[in-house]
Amino acid sequence: MSRRPCGTFDTRYELDIAVFRTPFHWSMFGLLMIGYLGLFPLLANDGYLAIANLISITLIATLGINFLTGYCGQISLGHAIFVACGGYISAVLMNHLGWSWWATLPVSVAGTALIGLFFGLPSLRIKGFYIAMSTLASYFIISWLLMHGGAITGSINGLPVDVPRIGAYEIVSQRQFYYLIAGFLILSLFVAKSIARGRLGRVFIAIRDDDMAAEVMGINVFAYKLIAFALCSAYAGLAGSLFATYWGFITFNHFPFFENIMYLGYVIIGGMGSIVGSIFGVLFLKLLGYGVMMFGPMIGQAFPAISGSVVASLLLIGHGAVIVVFLIFEPRGLFHRWEIIKASMRIWPFTY
Amino acid sequence: MTLFLQFLLSGIMLGGIYGLIAVGLVLIVKGTQVFNFAHGDMAAAGAYFFWWMLVKVQLNAGLSIAGVVIGAGLLALLLERFILRPMIGKPLLSAIMVTMGVGQILAGLVTLFWPGPGRTFPDILPSGTIHLGAVALSVESLTSFIICVVVLVGFYFLFQHTDIGLAMRGTAEDHQLAQSGGIQVTRIFAICWFIGILLSAIGGILIANLHQLDRIAVSGFILKTFAVVIFGGMESITGAVIAGVIVGVLEMLGSGYLDPLVDGGLAEVIPFIVLLLILIVRPHGLFGYVRIERV
Repeated sequence: MSRRPCGTFDTRYELDIAVFRTPFHWSMFGLLMIGYLGLFPLLANDGYLAIANLISITLIATLGINFLTGYCGQISLGHAIFVACGGYISAVLMNHLGWSWWATLPVSVAGTALIGLFFGLPSLRIKGFYIAMSTLASYFIISWLLMHGGAITGSINGLPVDVPRIGAYEIVSQRQFYYLIAGFLILSLFVAKSIARGRLGRVFIAIRDDDMAAEVMGINVFAYKLIAFALCSAYAGLAGSLFATYWGFITFNHFPFFENIMYLGYVIIGGMGSIVGSIFGVLFLKLLGYGVMMFGPMIGQAFPAISGSVVASLLLIGHGAVIVVFLIFEPRGLFHRWEIIKASMRIWPFTY
Repeated sequence: MTLFLQFLLSGIMLGGIYGLIAVGLVLIVKGTQVFNFAHGDMAAAGAYFFWWMLVKVQLNAGLSIAGVVIGAGLLALLLERFILRPMIGKPLLSAIMVTMGVGQILAGLVTLFWPGPGRTFPDILPSGTIHLGAVALSVESLTSFIICVVVLVGFYFLFQHTDIGLAMRGTAEDHQLAQSGGIQVTRIFAICWFIGILLSAIGGILIANLHQLDRIAVSGFILKTFAVVIFGGMESITGAVIAGVIVGVLEMLGSGYLDPLVDGGLAEVIPFIVLLLILIVRPHGLFGYVRIERV
């Protein structure tokens, strides 16, 4: 059902390249949208909305690293710092120049893209593991700059960030933020899917699979790697800017080194080079984290000897173990499972 | 001039520890083609384990070291058999991420068993200060440096003058050739991991002894060693030692002279600036293999 039954043919090119190809696809998409934009924000309380908001912001950032690492194959160990850059650019412009959040948003996206471009420059000479090392260096260098920026970045205390305003209308409650973030998320997903399906996405995949072959086919590998870095950072900038205004203030404590590993984990667990995979990966790991936070205290009560740090340690162990288990048993990620489920539904009740 | 000599000397002392940890990383890279991102967490886990045996179980220092050696051996065996072996032949990102996952598990275990803020280490090394002219040198860091040198010399002997060292060098050259030469490659992998983990644990203990026993601080220190490994060249053990001293001296000189000008904390970032510059100027490092592959 989710795939097309045999005998259904595309008669126009538009049908051939459509994302949603059958009425079933459209109805599933409609149901999802009704649930996402209508039912969930109506029924959920502020706690669940807050979780949804944080997950959505993380997902926007993950779409970025999915382009760089998942599609283009360049390992980034410093994605959290680009999210931080986006947030800090917004915060600095709003605090010191008095801009509104909406005005800082494009500057934040473009500025973070430029920073990403700059730290992508070593990819002219190096590749693979060494690129991972240069992004690692960029994480520590930028984080030092942010921590020691004096009054500009607020050093350790960070900066307060105002809420977005449309005229006199203020976006303050979790529900209002939910719609704001959902709007940006849908836009990001649409743009990401379009890029991934277009020439740029194909070029990225070519570079990931074999950069020499890509070069031979006439692709300027260095230029496209830089584009991937810029694109990745642009998404990170959007996510960071949203995070800053949503959280109300920004300090460096929001972006520990651990976050870099988490972003790579989302991409790997979801499935490299797949937009749907990114959604699965973020949902899976984030919900696992919230589950641990919910049930961790109970485990702590059961074993009082270790109750002091049971949530923090179980989070670390859980995330690490999930990453290791996925890499060993399902390196293609949840997306691959999803494809298998879809294929088996199409041929149901037969096994092949 | 006195100030310069002071910074130089403390830089060399620091460089000894950098060299020790970097050699462990290089050994794992050479032997198993995996870069160990869990090195920092392994060092922290080793230091905490040592502290636990020394202070809580009240063993003496020698028995505690023996415990760390046994722990490192067990961890190496488990890692090699169950986690790294399935990663053979997988893409680079998988190998990197799997070590990171292992690192997170270790970090979680450390937080589980030893929660809360850092611990103070008991004085296991002689303390005091030696004055060489106007330059002061703490006996503690000198002893640490000497320990590093002794361990490195012992390791050099093992690597260059024993059968097992020969097998390790052969495996580093080519896995398949080594295997057809009768070397059991998986066993060599386990030995490489064992020595690497042991070196990282000794480094972690020395760092914790000089500063404070804290998981984040120890693993942060070891992240800086990655710069040393790249600087020295990924495959060169001599390079790791030399680069360790150079990076240590640069860090001390830089933070010593420039910290008053900025807000401080330059020691945390100088190794990474060195790393970025090395990657741009000379990606294969001082003594690494030059692989000509232009894309």
